[in-house]
Amino acid sequence: MTDINQWLSTNTFHHSQFWDLMRLIEEKEKQGLTISLCIPTLNEEKTIGKEVVLFKSELMDRYPLLDEIAVIDSGSTDRTLEVAAAFGADVYLSADILPEMGYKRGKGENLWKAIHQLRGDILVYVDADIKNIHPRFAYGLIAPLIYRPEVKYVKAFYDRPLALSGEIRPSGGGRVTEILVRPLFSLFFPELTAIIQPLSGEYAVRREVLERISFPIGYGVETSHLIDVYKLWGLEAFAQTDLDQRVHRHQSTRDLGKMALGILRTFFKRLRRHDILHELPELPAILRQFQVRDGHYEQVLYEIQEEERPPMIEIPAYRERRGLAPA
Amino acid sequence: MHARKEEALLARVRRLPTELEPFRELLLANLVMFGEIPAPTFGEEERIRFLQQRFTECGLQNTSTDEVGNGVGILPGRSGGRSILVAAHADTPFSATVNHTLSLLPDLVTGPGVADNSIGMALLATLPTLLEGLDIHLESDLVLLGHARSLGRGNLQGLRFFLEHSELPLRAGLSVEGAQLGRLHYTSKATLGGEVTVEVDEEGELPSAIAVLNDFIDALQSLPQLGEENTELVLGVVEGGTSFKTAARRAALCFQVRSDSDERVEAMGRAIEALAHDLSRPTGITVRFEIIANSHAGGLADDHELILQARRVMTSLGIQPQAGCCSSAASSFAEKGVPALTLGLTRARRLNQPDETIELGPLMRGVAQLIGILMAIDGGCCD
Repeated sequence: MTDINQWLSTNTFHHSQFWDLMRLIEEKEKQGLTISLCIPTLNEEKTIGKEVVLFKSELMDRYPLLDEIAVIDSGSTDRTLEVAAAFGADVYLSADILPEMGYKRGKGENLWKAIHQLRGDILVYVDADIKNIHPRFAYGLIAPLIYRPEVKYVKAFYDRPLALSGEIRPSGGGRVTEILVRPLFSLFFPELTAIIQPLSGEYAVRREVLERISFPIGYGVETSHLIDVYKLWGLEAFAQTDLDQRVHRHQSTRDLGKMALGILRTFFKRLRRHDILHELPELPAILRQFQVRDGHYEQVLYEIQEEERPPMIEIPAYRERRGLAPA
Repeated sequence: MHARKEEALLARVRRLPTELEPFRELLLANLVMFGEIPAPTFGEEERIRFLQQRFTECGLQNTSTDEVGNGVGILPGRSGGRSILVAAHADTPFSATVNHTLSLLPDLVTGPGVADNSIGMALLATLPTLLEGLDIHLESDLVLLGHARSLGRGNLQGLRFFLEHSELPLRAGLSVEGAQLGRLHYTSKATLGGEVTVEVDEEGELPSAIAVLNDFIDALQSLPQLGEENTELVLGVVEGGTSFKTAARRAALCFQVRSDSDERVEAMGRAIEALAHDLSRPTGITVRFEIIANSHAGGLADDHELILQARRVMTSLGIQPQAGCCSSAASSFAEKGVPALTLGLTRARRLNQPDETIELGPLMRGVAQLIGILMAIDGGCCD
């Protein structure tokens, strides 16, 4: 087992270490890398404009670190795509990418299709609901990949205030991490506990990694990535960057329950795949929650599907697009 | 300015909004980054630090801060020797605990302080890049000032300090505000911003501090100086008390007196002092009056060449100049004999509310007017 403290000291960064963007770009150009930013969206008209403007203006026009900015949308019914396009992002409907593979609704689906659609050697994923967006959300994650060739996957972590009301509250968040994912990692993959925020939606990854791992389309995508990358390349493939505060939407406990079920299903699937647990029954996709109506308790059922997309490298259209020989 | 030279200037000015369009995102990105840094009056350090960083990134060699927290950058002109000042106040009326996240739509930006005055600061930071992109090279040095401590009790301390201590030979000054487009302010009224605090002892059968303050307001509104020489009273903020079932022990009023006449305002100040004294009681009622901001009457005449040129530039861009109100910044410039005016960049609504909003449609015309007026000053209209 890797010395976690050692790993923390060598593979944990703060975005301020990468303030010298000119140097970063010089190094990027020396390595001949291309970098794509992907923002997966579903009804994010309030925040998407700001994200696109900031990244485009700061990290394409002023400092040419990004080679493309793409919004991949799950079918927004608001003005998300119009706003993103107005500010200069390439916009795609997830359903239009690899149409022969069909369309599944979920953030993981958009992330997976981005591998096919975007051209970068490095892909940076940034959620669209960040209210205090800043260029550091991209360059803070990209930089370790540029400066450290052995690093393959960089996760963000934050001091996470929640946007509950008009005022910023100091701390909170990460409930699913602390009461579900970290205990599970402690039991089965103790080294992965070193990842401070395993569920953060912002990460930068080398294409060679992304195309070789499968993608749950729903809540389990971040957890499955960590386990799969860890099993293939070990903890040394990871780095993490402190991006300071991230102001985001507060999710209700009920919604977190759905997320937890999705993560658990993905997690158990991984335990089975890696021969850690053998005798698991078929896991139902139904989450049972309860509510009170007119003084009576009643059950509410939610179906939480956790379908998975196969590694992109196995998709013929992708191999063709990347000039790879048929499998 | 020579007629042919002026026509050439106005022809260029008319093209500016289109030429500026490719730089819109650059300005908006700066707007977002400035706007999300809280900058309450006396707490502008981080915003000024970011301004300095932007100046450095633009390649400005000469950037600095001063004792009161202003940020200055100088873009050298081709000839140098003389300077034009473009200034924007860095502070906003929102406390640091207010959520400062901005929301950006294709036609609107919303968030606290976006108009007053994050967009002004964003323009300061973007101006060197805009001028370079437009291939406009001024003869004069361009002095860009983000000034601290402007609003309320700040009393324009930063701008005054800069004008008091700077040895730069200023040809003219332009103050940039987010709103409203068309604003053309070049005079200042004499003003007095005051705070009256009423404190009532907890012991004994004393009236509520709010009732005492009410008596004070009645007396204030009856002062004979009001109405003479356009002397007027603005009741701005009232606060007091802690609970509906407890007589207030403390109440406060913030107000402003404005007049065309410095003497009239001084007389009002003396009268208010006397009122406060009259309402105080040795038995447990204390009424205190404090002057928190002031300015002198002054500014430019309507037919000053800078104003005439500004009107021409604005009109050429389809902007209707509105000179109705006054700007206290004009007083600071007037005291130093620097011709100056205040401009607004775009249309805004819900000013000084958390959902303050600016329109993006007219923004680049607002920027164009500023650049056009800069070019006019550089061409010698103030000399």
